[in-house]
Amino acid sequence: MNTKAPFLIKRVVTASSLLLLLLGFAMVLGISMGSTDSGIKDVFQNLLGTKEPESMLYTIIWKIRFPRVLLAALVGAALSLGGLVFQALLRNPLAEPYILGISGGSAIGAIIGILMGFSRFPGVSLTAFTGSIATLLLILAMSSGQTILKKDALLLSGVMVNAFCAAVIMFLVSMTQDSRLHNIIFWLMGDLSMVDMKHVGILAATLLPCFFLVFWLSNPMNLLLLGKEMAQTLGVNIKVVTFTLLIVTSFMVSATVSYCGLVGFVGLVMPHLLRLVFGPDHRVLVPACVFGGGTYMVFCDLLARTLPEQGEMPAGVITAIIGAPLFIYLLKRSSR
Amino acid sequence: MNMAITAKNLSHSFGEDLVLRNVSFQVPKRDFFIIIGPNGSGKTTLMKIISGLLKPRNGGLKILNRSIDQYHRKALARTIAYVPQMTFADFPFTVTEIVLMGRSPYLGMLGLEEENDLEIANQAIAFTGLENLAHRKLDQLSGGEQQRVFIARAICQEPDIILLDEPTASLDLAYQVRIMDLMEQLKTEKGITVVMVSHDVNLAAMYADHLLLLHNGQVLCQGLPDEVITYQTLEAAYGCTLLVDESPLGKSPRVTLVPRKYSIRE
Amino acid sequence: MIKFRYITIVFMMTVLPLISEGSPSVAKTITDQLGRHVAVPDKPQRVVSLAPSITEIVFALDQGHRLQGVTTYSDFPPEAVKLPKVGSYVHLDLEKIVALKPDLCIAIKDGNPRVIAQRLESLKIPVYAVDPNNLETIMKTVLEIGTLLNAKDRANQLVQNMDLRIQKVKSLVAKTTHRPRVFLQIGVSPIVSAGTHTFIHELIVIAGGTNLAAGPIPYPRFSREKVLALSPEIIIITSMARSAIFEKVKAEWEKWPNMPAVRNRRIFVEDSNFFDRPTPRLVDGLELLTRLIHPELIDKIQ
Repeated sequence: MNTKAPFLIKRVVTASSLLLLLLGFAMVLGISMGSTDSGIKDVFQNLLGTKEPESMLYTIIWKIRFPRVLLAALVGAALSLGGLVFQALLRNPLAEPYILGISGGSAIGAIIGILMGFSRFPGVSLTAFTGSIATLLLILAMSSGQTILKKDALLLSGVMVNAFCAAVIMFLVSMTQDSRLHNIIFWLMGDLSMVDMKHVGILAATLLPCFFLVFWLSNPMNLLLLGKEMAQTLGVNIKVVTFTLLIVTSFMVSATVSYCGLVGFVGLVMPHLLRLVFGPDHRVLVPACVFGGGTYMVFCDLLARTLPEQGEMPAGVITAIIGAPLFIYLLKRSSR
Repeated sequence: MNMAITAKNLSHSFGEDLVLRNVSFQVPKRDFFIIIGPNGSGKTTLMKIISGLLKPRNGGLKILNRSIDQYHRKALARTIAYVPQMTFADFPFTVTEIVLMGRSPYLGMLGLEEENDLEIANQAIAFTGLENLAHRKLDQLSGGEQQRVFIARAICQEPDIILLDEPTASLDLAYQVRIMDLMEQLKTEKGITVVMVSHDVNLAAMYADHLLLLHNGQVLCQGLPDEVITYQTLEAAYGCTLLVDESPLGKSPRVTLVPRKYSIRE
Repeated sequence: MIKFRYITIVFMMTVLPLISEGSPSVAKTITDQLGRHVAVPDKPQRVVSLAPSITEIVFALDQGHRLQGVTTYSDFPPEAVKLPKVGSYVHLDLEKIVALKPDLCIAIKDGNPRVIAQRLESLKIPVYAVDPNNLETIMKTVLEIGTLLNAKDRANQLVQNMDLRIQKVKSLVAKTTHRPRVFLQIGVSPIVSAGTHTFIHELIVIAGGTNLAAGPIPYPRFSREKVLALSPEIIIITSMARSAIFEKVKAEWEKWPNMPAVRNRRIFVEDSNFFDRPTPRLVDGLELLTRLIHPELIDKIQ
C-alpha cells in the first residue's frame, strides 16, 4: 500500500486553498480601496489592463496600494507564524512573536536610528534589526547553554528584557520633543505606509525561505508539544530542532518588525483562531498561519487606511481592537 | 545471549550527587522486568539512561546486543518506546493523532503517514481498548484513559522494548490492574520486552518475571520475585517494618505494611 | 518665397511658446536647500504643499491659486482650510498626493519623512525641499519659493519688508540698556521652554531679551523650582489653549510673589503660531515679543 494517507494531505490542501482564496479576495479588496475614491469598475478595468498604464489610477493601485497590501500579507504571515512557533516551542498559549525581547530590542534600535536622523530605509530598519538580534543574543546568553531547553528560563529572560527595554523606550520618548517624536510613535504602533516594491521584494525573499523551513519542521513541532523527552524518544533531535526554530523564527520576526514597526496582536490571536478551526496539527497550521495571518493583516490594514476621515490609524490599533475581543471570545469558547 | 538489555557498571551523578553506582543487570527478551525501590533510589534516572535520554557518566549499556551509542536517534526510537510518568495535554490533539505520532520514527521529515501507518495505529487503539474514544480530545479523558493513549502510542512505535515510568501511580485500582494486564498481553502476544519502574511492590511481585531492587543508587538485589522480595531486602531498602508472606492467590510473594500498633519489635 | 518662409519661422518661434504657456511641461533643473538636484516645471500649476508653513508662504506670495493640496494643519490663511488635505506633515498620505496629479511638491526638511520624497520622485513628481530654521533661511526660503512659482517680485517685496522690520527692531533694541530675563513657556505640563537652536531663542535675542532656557537641548524641561531659581522678569506662555487654562497657569506662577515677573505683573499669553512657524509671521512674533520685553518701545513698533 503506497497511497499517502489522504486525510492529512487533504486537510493541508483544503485549509491552504480556502485561506489562499480568502487572501486573494482580501488583496483585491485592499488594492481597490484607499484614501482616494475610485469606483470598483475602474479598479477592475485597471486590473484587467484595459486602462492605460500611465494613468493616475494605475499608479495609485500598482505603485502605492499593491506594495502595501503585499507587505501586509507578508507581515501578517510572518507574525502569525512567529506566534505559532513560539507557542509550540515554549508550550505556552500566551507566547507571541515579540516575547523573546524582539519588541524591546527592535524598538530601542529604531528609536536610536530615528534620533540619529536616519530615514526609514535603510537606516532605521537596519538599526531596528540590529537591536532585535542583539537582544536575542543577550537572552540566549542569559538563559545560557544547556538550559536553553528549559522553556521557562528563556521565557523569563525574554519578559525581563522586554520590561527593561520598555523603560528605556519610555525614557527616550519623554526626552524627545520635536517632530521625530511622531516618527517614533508611528513606528511603535506599527506603520506599513513607507514601503515600495523594492523593499517588499527584499522582505519576501528573506521571509519565504523561513516559511518553508518552519513548514519542514512542523511535524517535530507536533512532537515537541508532547514534551521534550517524549519527542526525543520519538527520534527528534530536540537540541537542533529547538535551536533552529528559535533562530529562524526570531530572524523572521526581526526582519518583519524592521520594516513595519510593532504591529501587535496578530501573532497572538491568529494561531489560536486557526487552531480552533483547523485543529492543532502544525502541518496544517503552518500554511494556515501564513495565508490566514496574511488575510487578517490585509483586512486590518485596509480598515486602518479607510476608516478614518483624515489620515490613517496605525495598523496595530485595528489588530488590537478586533483581536482583543476575538481572543476573549475564543478563550470563553474553548473553556467549554 | 538473548538479552534485550545488558547494563554494566552504570554510574551517573548530577553535579556532586552520585545518583547511580555501578548498576549492572540483564533483561532477557520478552521479559516483564520491574525496577522497584524507594524514592530517590535512582529509578527514574536509570529509566532515562536506558531510554537514551541521559548519557551515563560511566558504564556500558547494550540494547539488543549493540551498544546504545551505536544507535542512530531514529533507529533507537524504533527499538525502544518510552512512556513517561508525566504527560502533557496542553493542546487538543485527538487520541488518533497522538497515537499516530508513534509512527514518526518510521516516517520522513513531514511525517506524512500512509495507509499502513493508520492501520497500525488503529490496531494499537484496539489493543488498548480505546476504539470508542478514538476521536475524542486528550483533555477530555480520565487519567487512566490518557495513560492508555500514551501506551497505545508506544505500541504504535512497534518497539522491541517498552519502558514505563510508574504507569500506575495516581490511577484507580481498576486501571492499575488493567494497565499491568495490558503489559502482560504485550509481552505474550506481541513479544515486546516490558521494563517498568513501579512503586507498588505487590503489583510488581504479581507480574514481574524478574525484579531489580535499587537502594541509594545501587543494586541491592535482583532476580526472581521470590528471591528479591524478602523482608530482609525490603526492610533494608525501604527502611520500615514489613511482613512478607505468600499471596492468597498463590504464585507470588505478598508484602504487608506493619503499622506501629501491630509492630512486635519495639 | 524665402521671405514668407522666414516670416513663418519667426511667427512660430514667437507665437507658439505663447500658445503653449498653459502646459507646464518645460522643466529646468535647480538645486534645492538640501543640495538635491530637482527638475522643476517652469510654470507649476498644480502645487502640493507638504507643511503648514509652506502653505502660509505660498499664500503670502499671492500664489495660493496654484495650490491643489495642503497638509492637515494648514490653517492660515483661512483660504487654505478649504483646500484638499493630504495628511499631516509627519505622516503624509501618498495616495492622496498622487491623486491630485501635482507637478511640483514643496517639502520641508524638519518633519517630512524622507521616504515620501523618494517615492514621489520615483513616481516622476518633483519634490523641492526647503529648510527654514532661522530668520535668514526663512527669507531665503521665501525667495526660493517665489522663484519656483514665478512670483519673484512679490517675494522680493515680502523679504524686503521683513528685513526692514527686523532691522528696525534691532536698531531700537540696540539703544536699550537692559536685557530682561525672559522665560518663554511652550508646554504647560510639563514645563517646557526653547533652547538655543529654535526660532524662539533667535526672536528673544533680537527682541532684546535674555532667553533663560538657552542651551544645547532644543526643548528642555524645567521644574518649577528651577524656573524660580532663574528668577525670570517676564514669563510668556505660548499655547493654543483657551483663556481658562491661561488663568490657571498664571495663578500657579502667582503663588510665588517674590518672582520678578509676578511682582511686576509681566506674565503674558500669546498665540504660539507666531513663534513656531517658519513663515513671515515670525516677524510679527518678533515685534510682539519686543513690545512685551521692551514696553518702552511700544509706540515705535507697529
